[in-house]
Amino acid sequence: MVSMELWNHCENPYPFVPAEVLDAADSVRASLPNKYCDPQTAARLYDEIWEEYRLCDDIGLHIVTNEHHSGINNLWAASPVITGIVASMTSKVRILTLGTLVTVRPDPVRVATEYATIDVISKGRLDIGFVKSGATEMVSGNANPMHIREREWEAIDLIEKSLTTHDGPFSWEGKFFTHPHVNVWPRPYQSPRPDFWAATSDLPTCAELGRRGFVNTLLFGGYERTRKAYDAYKQARVVAGLPKAGEDRFSYMAFCYVGDTDEEAMRIGQKIPWFLTVSIKSSPQFSKFQPGAVAPEMAPAAWRGGASKRPTDLSVASLIAQGQMFCGNPDTVAKQIKEFRQRVGGVGRIIMMTRQGLVTHAQAMKSFNLAAKEVLPQLQDLPAIDDSSIAVAAE
Amino acid sequence: MRIELETLRRGSGRPILVLHGVNPVSPTAPFLDPLAKHGEVIAPSHPGFGASPMPADFETIYDLVNLYQDVIDDLPGDDVTLIGLGFGGWIAAEVAVTRPAKLSRLVLADPVGIKIGGREDRDIAHFFNSHPADLTKRAWHDPSKRPAGCYGLGWQAGIDDTMTDAEMVSLARNWDSLCLYSWTPHMYNPRLKPWLRRIAVPTLVLWGESDGIVTPDYGRAYAGLIPGATFETIHAAGHHPELEQPAAFADRVARFIGAGA
Repeated sequence: MVSMELWNHCENPYPFVPAEVLDAADSVRASLPNKYCDPQTAARLYDEIWEEYRLCDDIGLHIVTNEHHSGINNLWAASPVITGIVASMTSKVRILTLGTLVTVRPDPVRVATEYATIDVISKGRLDIGFVKSGATEMVSGNANPMHIREREWEAIDLIEKSLTTHDGPFSWEGKFFTHPHVNVWPRPYQSPRPDFWAATSDLPTCAELGRRGFVNTLLFGGYERTRKAYDAYKQARVVAGLPKAGEDRFSYMAFCYVGDTDEEAMRIGQKIPWFLTVSIKSSPQFSKFQPGAVAPEMAPAAWRGGASKRPTDLSVASLIAQGQMFCGNPDTVAKQIKEFRQRVGGVGRIIMMTRQGLVTHAQAMKSFNLAAKEVLPQLQDLPAIDDSSIAVAAE
Repeated sequence: MRIELETLRRGSGRPILVLHGVNPVSPTAPFLDPLAKHGEVIAPSHPGFGASPMPADFETIYDLVNLYQDVIDDLPGDDVTLIGLGFGGWIAAEVAVTRPAKLSRLVLADPVGIKIGGREDRDIAHFFNSHPADLTKRAWHDPSKRPAGCYGLGWQAGIDDTMTDAEMVSLARNWDSLCLYSWTPHMYNPRLKPWLRRIAVPTLVLWGESDGIVTPDYGRAYAGLIPGATFETIHAAGHHPELEQPAAFADRVARFIGAGA
């Protein structure tokens, strides 16, 4: 039997910049001056979300933090800072940092130190997630956008060794990072280390996550891309002769709103895709023309007019149909999540993006209460999914 | 280690080695024929540009500088003129600092590579973080005069349905490689400036009068750091005088080569 988890992911968006400013700006990330961010409004937003996190701790929704920089989409500019605060204010639920952008951090040992500290403060409730990043983040972080996947893996390896070495100091002289004297204090609370997650739908990367046993999370991948990613993970384990991964190794992030009725949820849920319609507007030099953004052989497809991977129909109904949103009354949402789990071959951890766009604090609190009290119980003790076809395919 | 370089050759005689800027020298570039009257123009594509493969673990200016010392060592004779354009001007200046035995003349056209101003002065417009329209405005005196098939800074603004997939793949590859070599510090080596005094060959520094990527004032300061260097501007040209004013460019270089011969 499988019991699913629900996680709350809020990016602390700042949807208060006047529309005419956003319309006139080339990019709402990286280059929008911070005169448009009112610190008093930001302080109120932090307070609201701390209250949401305290509620999550009480009702059993785990918490995801992340970071993006210099834009209206996200005020979690330093994930270790935010995650440390969350560790201190909660006592029961797990906390996933997804994560500080290791491709823009010059010293992974410092990242390991921050995470080890948070793990101790939380008394072992920290999970550590990695994201490759790119686009405006490379500009805001002044990080060379070339070779970032390779750099990310070296950073992950160094962080892992930093967290698991207890008879140091040790020396690291890699391609991207050198540190002759690594000796992290405090050591992490969990042994051998906090669980590692990574967000990707890149199939070779999913296969590597499978071999390493990381949790593979997808963001808005929809049914088909998610299934392929999880299959790549599973097949890599079969080929490597590793035991079958449990559903807790698979995670999926979707927009989510739970209301008293389907009608109410659809109405409020329509405020969430602001994330796609407004908050990711980005200049061409920060997106399709950024070095490394697309492999050169893919450039013609990416550069010719109209080429975009973004969904064009952002209605709640369309997003639900594509498996990118769970939205409705508690029974509807439970049914949507169960169907998603079936169609992707099993997933144990659903990350809900609820406090997004123009969704208010009160509306978010309501959805979290319904999710924890009326959806989560329906996701417990589910029958296992038969994915024996994976083993056959790998043979 | 053998490194393959796609190389454009034009004319014959004493070698004129041309190190390109953001994109390799196009076979249709109008400055080639007039320049080739004065020697053999040899224009390799840097590793990772054009059809030149990117060797494994090849990723810094240091790699390019050592590579082009090898290239100069392998050229025939002992009278090599080195021309560096924009980004290639940075490489050429670095190479000249090492005093290759066969190098007899240096031409830098709108080179990047050094820091002149204060810490809050942007000497070099950011190649990667600037909007393509802004780059075009800064890089060209008159973008409409860009020769067909030749691309400089702001090339993204020139993408249209007439461009072939192969051209796009090549431009993307060039852009990636340029970024790998030069992202940070952006387009300069903090240690180059004090060593420019080692350049020991006659040097001509050419500058497009309308260059808004690196201004003529930057160029004057650059030339002032190279012993005996001559600084000249080219009218009605931006960051790519060899593309906007090919006749004037070739003429200045020819006079300089002739004077130094």
